Amino acid sequence: MSLKVGVARFLGTNCDDDVRKWVTAKSHTAEYLWFENQFNTNEYDMVIIPGGFSHGDYLRCGALAAQTPVMKSIREFAAKGKPILGICNGFQILCETGLLPGALLRNQGLKFKDEWATLKVNQSKNAFSSKMEKNQLLKLPIAHGDGNYYAEADTLKKLQDKEQIWLTYEGKNPNGSLMNIAGITNEQKNICALMPHPERALYEWMGSQDGMYLL
Amino acid sequence: MISQDLTTKLKTYRLSEEEYNLMKSLLGREPLPVEWPLFSALWSEHCSYKSSKVHLRKFSYRNERTPDMDGENAGVVDLGYGEKIAFKMESHNHPSFIEPVQGSATGVGGILRDIFTMGARPIMSANYLCFGEVTAPRMKYLMNGVAKGISSYGNCVGVPTVTGQTNLHSRYNKNILVNALNVGYFGPDMKMALSKAKGENNLVVYVGAKTGRDGVHGASMASESFDQDSESKRPNVQIGDPFFEKLLIEACLEVLKKDLVVAMQDMGAAGLTSSSFEMASKGQVGFVIDLKKVPLRDSTMTAEDILLSESQERMLLICEPKNFEKLQAEFKKWSLDACVLGEVQKDRKVKLMWGPELLTEIDPDLIVEKAPQYKRPYSKWHYPNRVESLPTPKIEVAKLIDSKLASFKLNQQHWIHNQYDQRVGARTAMACESSVAFARLDHSGRGLGLAVGCRPEVMLMDAEIGALDAVYYPAFQMAIKGAETLAVTDCLNFGNPQKTEIMSEFVASVEAIADAAKKLDAPVISGNVSFYNETLGENIISTPATGVVSLRETVENIIPDAFSNPFENIIQVQLNWVESWTYAEQSHNRISKFRQNSAADVPAFIKKCVGLDAFLKEKNKKISAIKAVGLGGIGATCLKMSRNNTGFDLSYDLSLEDESTLFKDVFYSFIISTGEKTEEMVKLLNGYFDELGVEVKKIGETKDGEMILSKNSKLAFKDFQTKYFKDLEAASV
Repeated sequence: MSLKVGVARFLGTNCDDDVRKWVTAKSHTAEYLWFENQFNTNEYDMVIIPGGFSHGDYLRCGALAAQTPVMKSIREFAAKGKPILGICNGFQILCETGLLPGALLRNQGLKFKDEWATLKVNQSKNAFSSKMEKNQLLKLPIAHGDGNYYAEADTLKKLQDKEQIWLTYEGKNPNGSLMNIAGITNEQKNICALMPHPERALYEWMGSQDGMYLL
Repeated sequence: MISQDLTTKLKTYRLSEEEYNLMKSLLGREPLPVEWPLFSALWSEHCSYKSSKVHLRKFSYRNERTPDMDGENAGVVDLGYGEKIAFKMESHNHPSFIEPVQGSATGVGGILRDIFTMGARPIMSANYLCFGEVTAPRMKYLMNGVAKGISSYGNCVGVPTVTGQTNLHSRYNKNILVNALNVGYFGPDMKMALSKAKGENNLVVYVGAKTGRDGVHGASMASESFDQDSESKRPNVQIGDPFFEKLLIEACLEVLKKDLVVAMQDMGAAGLTSSSFEMASKGQVGFVIDLKKVPLRDSTMTAEDILLSESQERMLLICEPKNFEKLQAEFKKWSLDACVLGEVQKDRKVKLMWGPELLTEIDPDLIVEKAPQYKRPYSKWHYPNRVESLPTPKIEVAKLIDSKLASFKLNQQHWIHNQYDQRVGARTAMACESSVAFARLDHSGRGLGLAVGCRPEVMLMDAEIGALDAVYYPAFQMAIKGAETLAVTDCLNFGNPQKTEIMSEFVASVEAIADAAKKLDAPVISGNVSFYNETLGENIISTPATGVVSLRETVENIIPDAFSNPFENIIQVQLNWVESWTYAEQSHNRISKFRQNSAADVPAFIKKCVGLDAFLKEKNKKISAIKAVGLGGIGATCLKMSRNNTGFDLSYDLSLEDESTLFKDVFYSFIISTGEKTEEMVKLLNGYFDELGVEVKKIGETKDGEMILSKNSKLAFKDFQTKYFKDLEAASV
């Protein structure tokens, strides 16, 4: 089934076109959602918040983007239980809006990191895992300076209890995230977010095709 | 005798007495106060290329793929299928030495603007870095700062940094090199923008960041040697904001797409002065500009400050009056200001106004076209280190291997490259983990190859061989991956051109690069010269860095550098062009001797390598790894190819009559790893390279978990990692 996918675009978003190419390659339709505008939530089947440096990452990563009109509609979209995927900066934005719990701190070692990561699928009952199996390993690239997932102990416990921990780094943890977390979902499992970039791992020539499992 | 007053003025504006006299005769009068800074900036070495221009004409060779761009910001290569690329390399050495984070970041920002000002979307960044010894004063700070500057800027604008080269040598202790390269892409539906201003009464529009005091006199600072006071030049260094640049890229490409722009030029070195005078001069028109209309960060700035500010992320556009509102709206969408400074005039004068007051009116050609050009003295190149027979030095192999490994460059770049976003844009097929990079072209799906070149060790040995190698080696590295060389850009980093020996190396390098490029049919289409890389009279190694682009039919199945399967045959193919000994990386200033085989046809070998991929495929033979043999010979190269626990065994092979040959430098040679039968492969390869005089032989086998250089030198993977990998990573902390 071909879906109509809204791709959020803030000032400084830089993976918007990459996500558009991915969505189109899957025979879906991609449409940009400009940060200054609200949108009709009935018109879209899915929303993706791509990576980048929204609003220059000023203040805190994702903090300014979280306050924009487009996010108001995305909250509405979320409340309807429709699927939302946040990638990298998109993950940070979703945490800043409170749609996902926790926060992404500066990487351990304080440096930006670009490398391939091995991820383990901890649960596959969510909006972006229908093609995956539990315990499957994925090879995806990371590229971030603030991917160190942090949450209070009781939040972490809740994440575990409600099976909200989606992806974890296997082997090497590149950023110091708690419990090796690389991706989480909300309790209802319609909102998913991850630090790695699936849109950069779609074909053999990219180094991995595992990103295709998400859409 | 010139007056005290004039002497001071000449010193302030870094002009010579002869240049002052030329200024006077061109103007027909004494220069006005506001004209001094104009001439100072545009006649600086950095802007005028006054010491190099007469030699840069040697790069005039073009082919059907490379249209003459007539002084545009970057060179363009037509790739067919409606696709084009623009690319260029530029130095930011002086600012980076003074303030590494901002200096290198604004180097990236500047080269990006050179590319998107032409209407191309930047798709690949690369860099060429030279640092001093890790133990030299400030060096760790500089290395960390440069890595941080490049990564923070490049990552934020969303352009992947896909390849680079980092060199360490004591001759860069007091003058590091930071060269940034960018490649921009034009798809079939994209328009190229030019910088020639035209159309009487068209508006001169300023867009982007506000003007501040940063970088005032930056261009002339970059045209001077360093002394004890270099630290005090910190305020000359510009501050960059990659977020602003990202917005500027999107807004500029959008207004071009909507056809709202007549001409466009970024404000780089010498800021508003160079952009306005050059646009007017190229377009053979005049401008009237009110400097009071320039948006300022600091309202107390004078006309001179405004003219010379090198504040980043600013552009000058020419637009028809009827389109201005639409243009302004587009910039506003991206949260950027666009304001009118003045208009284009038929009269070929640039009139600088301060409100109603006319500060000056000058024919732009006087400053741009009539800039002085010098024929600095130089002597003919004479190969001081060439010898007829190359003696094998008497060395203790175990010690050699140890010193080789200890000083090994193997992993020194890893901690830098890891900080670059190498895959944003979703085009990257091969990046920093390999010797060359490839990106997928959006429209045709072909692979665009990119590699940087110039090995300072080879330059130190011989400037001509080193400069030929600066083109040949990256071309060769890409050729063995099946990519045809397309074009070259360069960044010529040299010392003081007023010294005959430096100028001689410069001329020999320019001629060698031009020659190599022509023989490969890969024109030198853009470039940059950075002179005065000297501190307290000490010059750097002459370093003509290059960027070479190439084309491959597809991005699928590019054979990697690294060994991946144990128990395969390792076969070496070698052309004997130059042999040398550069084993003494520890005694840095040692000059190596070399032997040259003049019968070796390097360009023919490189061109032949391009077809190897297809040839083996046709013969149904598979290879799993391929890599050019670098400095340090097959020993160092095999170590570099060892990854993920697949190593090698070179110990049993009798053709290595002496273990020391493991580390002898050979130009040019490559190594393959293959599961095919040795005899068959050797025969096939010999047949393929027939008449080129290459040597093909098996040198060893791949091995699981171990690297065996010789019977006496075995290394387990984990020991190698802990013993040799950590040095520079530790330096970075």
